[in-house]
Amino acid sequence: MTLNINNQQYAAEFDSEMPLLWVLRDILGLTGTKYGCGIGQCGACTILIDGKPIRSCSTPASFASGKRLQTIEGLEETKYRVLQEAWIKEQVPQCGYCQSGQLMSATALLMTNANPSEAEILDAMRGNICRCGTYPRILKAIASVVKENAV
Amino acid sequence: MEGSKQSRREFLYNTSLVGGGLVIGLNFLQACVDNVKVVPDPEHPLVTTENMFYHDGATSITDFLQIRSDGKIFVSLTKYEMGQGVSTGLSAIIAEELEADWSKINIKYAQPIKDVANSTGGSTSILSHWDLLRRAGAFAKRLLIEAAAKEWAVYADHCSAEKGVVRLLGTKKELEYGQLAQRVVVPKNYREAFENTPLKFRSKFKLIGKNLRSKIIPDIVTGKHPYSMDVQLPGMKYAAVLRCPVFKGKLIEYESEEAVQVPGVEKVVAITLDTTDTIRDGIAVIATSTWAAFQGKSALKAKWDLGEHAKTVHKTFVAECRHKLEKDKGTEILRIGSKTKDADVDQVVSRTYEFPYQHHACMEPLNATAHFKGDSCEMWVGTQSADKIMANIEKHLGIPKENITINCHPSGGGFGLRYSSDYALESMVVSKASGGELIKLCYSREDDIQFDHLNPFELNKHTVGLKNGKPIFWDMKNVMANWGGLLGWMYYDIPNISGTQITVNGFTHVGAWRSVMANAEGFSTESFIDELAHELGRDPLEFRLSHLPRNKMVDFNHSYACNLNRLRGALELVAEKGEWGKEMPEGSGQGIAVYPYMHGNGYGAALAEVSVIDKTIKVTRISIAIDCGLVINPDLIKQQMEGGVIWALSAIFYGGTAYKNGVVQRSNFHDNRVYRIHEIPEIAIHICKNDEETPWGVGEIAGPVTYASVCNAVFAATGKRIRKLPITNGRL
Repeated sequence: MTLNINNQQYAAEFDSEMPLLWVLRDILGLTGTKYGCGIGQCGACTILIDGKPIRSCSTPASFASGKRLQTIEGLEETKYRVLQEAWIKEQVPQCGYCQSGQLMSATALLMTNANPSEAEILDAMRGNICRCGTYPRILKAIASVVKENAV
Repeated sequence: MEGSKQSRREFLYNTSLVGGGLVIGLNFLQACVDNVKVVPDPEHPLVTTENMFYHDGATSITDFLQIRSDGKIFVSLTKYEMGQGVSTGLSAIIAEELEADWSKINIKYAQPIKDVANSTGGSTSILSHWDLLRRAGAFAKRLLIEAAAKEWAVYADHCSAEKGVVRLLGTKKELEYGQLAQRVVVPKNYREAFENTPLKFRSKFKLIGKNLRSKIIPDIVTGKHPYSMDVQLPGMKYAAVLRCPVFKGKLIEYESEEAVQVPGVEKVVAITLDTTDTIRDGIAVIATSTWAAFQGKSALKAKWDLGEHAKTVHKTFVAECRHKLEKDKGTEILRIGSKTKDADVDQVVSRTYEFPYQHHACMEPLNATAHFKGDSCEMWVGTQSADKIMANIEKHLGIPKENITINCHPSGGGFGLRYSSDYALESMVVSKASGGELIKLCYSREDDIQFDHLNPFELNKHTVGLKNGKPIFWDMKNVMANWGGLLGWMYYDIPNISGTQITVNGFTHVGAWRSVMANAEGFSTESFIDELAHELGRDPLEFRLSHLPRNKMVDFNHSYACNLNRLRGALELVAEKGEWGKEMPEGSGQGIAVYPYMHGNGYGAALAEVSVIDKTIKVTRISIAIDCGLVINPDLIKQQMEGGVIWALSAIFYGGTAYKNGVVQRSNFHDNRVYRIHEIPEIAIHICKNDEETPWGVGEIAGPVTYASVCNAVFAATGKRIRKLPITNGRL
């Protein structure tokens, strides 16, 4: 099966029913996308498929056939790197394990809504759990990108 | 560097200094200087914890510290990074004394170093390695200056160092650290020189006290931070274990026919280890991917002897604990003053508070990669206690410690869970049982919750005798599951005090959980003093302050004596910044609390505001004040306080657990809920100014005061007193 990830073609043999999370991590070695819960509850595995945020832990690889995947590894190459910069500026992460998913969810939000209200930000980000409690800074970082009209 | 692991152990030794002072062994250092290690780029660059430490052309001037010819500096961590920020905090201390350019500092993750880098917790990393790392930095700077002085044929005191450059005073001559690294000469009396190298005065600090940016965040936001979960090694297989669902149950038989049919599953092996009661009996599935291992595990059929804990009824256990609290005498572990007869007081007030078992649910589920090789083994793991892993492998698998290699990775959260070494030992047992396969054992989230080492269940009964409106005695009696000890009790100035403990056998294993005993002690003590204040018609802030006399140290036989000025200072600051006593709207209220965390000598206070609508609590604002001595990095402190508050709010509203027939009923984030972004209150952090010369603990200060301040605010808003956590879903 061939997957288009971050504008690169990846070809490998694997069970097409395997969730994308494990294809990315164990088969293709793209370990930036994290396993947190396996049931779409925590958001650590969030990637974009054709620009929409999906939980890769509960999405079979077959679903991605012919579609465009974006993961944390490719974010720097897009204009949404401003989010990574804001994450650094606001010193958001602590342990960092959930942050790939947080950044991908934030990216998905700004792709569809470049000027979200605080309520819209909260609504878009509530699917992503952070156990270190970096939420106040995630909110600040996204708000700063919105405020500076950076995307 | 052939045999560098052995050298690493030899080149360090402990002195009698408090907190494990340390000397850098410079015969090793000389070997580093002489021997430039050239290594190829790693095959899997994303998961190396060496962070290119032994890179082409690099020169180490100690194993802690490497300065390269391009001026890049690598700091080898002496503590374990799990999100608490030690990589940034500890390297700032070295960089300060080294007079390094902060932008050139890079991190190499901790390797277990005997007696030094093996254990991380108790909010003690910065305070216990403060002196050691300052000396390491200062000593390295001295060597660099001496190398420059030799180059210019002048005395060393004609040179000065700043921002990675040595200058010859009164001239324009300068040499960068990178140019000097290979010219360093180690003095023969290096041990003495190390101890005698002068340290900077606090007034001269340039980096300490500043909001230096994290050294790990750039890797995190690009997905490159090297968690052990991301380890990928040639030939590595993936493993999942079906464990006995009840603590101490036994495997009778299993059936793996269906499991081995799952594509990718290669092997199924039983794991039983009679020598330990914390590794559960189980069946391991070895596969070509984590997914295949999980699928194979689901297809297994097992028959267990569930044992006596299967008979446990959670509610009965709690009721029995309450019964013991009233009936058992317990063991007196603290006594100040004398026993007071009830007849000598006007009134006796007694209240009991319950703090539940609590799950960790770190974002990175437990995992370890293990390779059993007969008489030696290697492991890749995130751990707060590498020494415990090594000791357990030696004890249970018979591999001598010197043949065990542990590669320590940073983790996606620790919060005390990664003190437990079960998951690591278990991974090695699986590797052994599979015939020596290199395996990555990954807990599913369900495993991580079900086989968690929980915060112990605790009951605290506080009893006070009042005479003329003053507490004459204060007794605390405590029932605790599988744990003992008191942490920070009793800091209020009461003439007669006692602490009594009853340890009970709970029905599951327990462990350290951020703030440990301070959670239940802080929650109960600060709730009770609030009750007393209201009982006596006193203002809760004023009542507390009236029992915290100035200029008094209280020693309750813990790591540090409690400095009441610091405690008062935190309380007064939070009262001022949080606007204690301001008019609150109908149905809302303020609550206040203060608590010392004596493992790390940190002092915290909180002021919470809540509103209660339709019997549902909403926390709207929390102010925290912290006194943690000398401040290394204010922003790191704020991060830890914000995180600690949110951690505690999760525990207040969604914490606890539920067992049925000895089996954990929670399984994942839908039924073990934690706070999400839309639920957080406004959080304000205030750091007390002080003139302390040393830094104290930070990471576990916020929790205890958050529980009590929120519950006290609920009382202020509604008149309802919370004596039992959690307040499920915030419903009163």
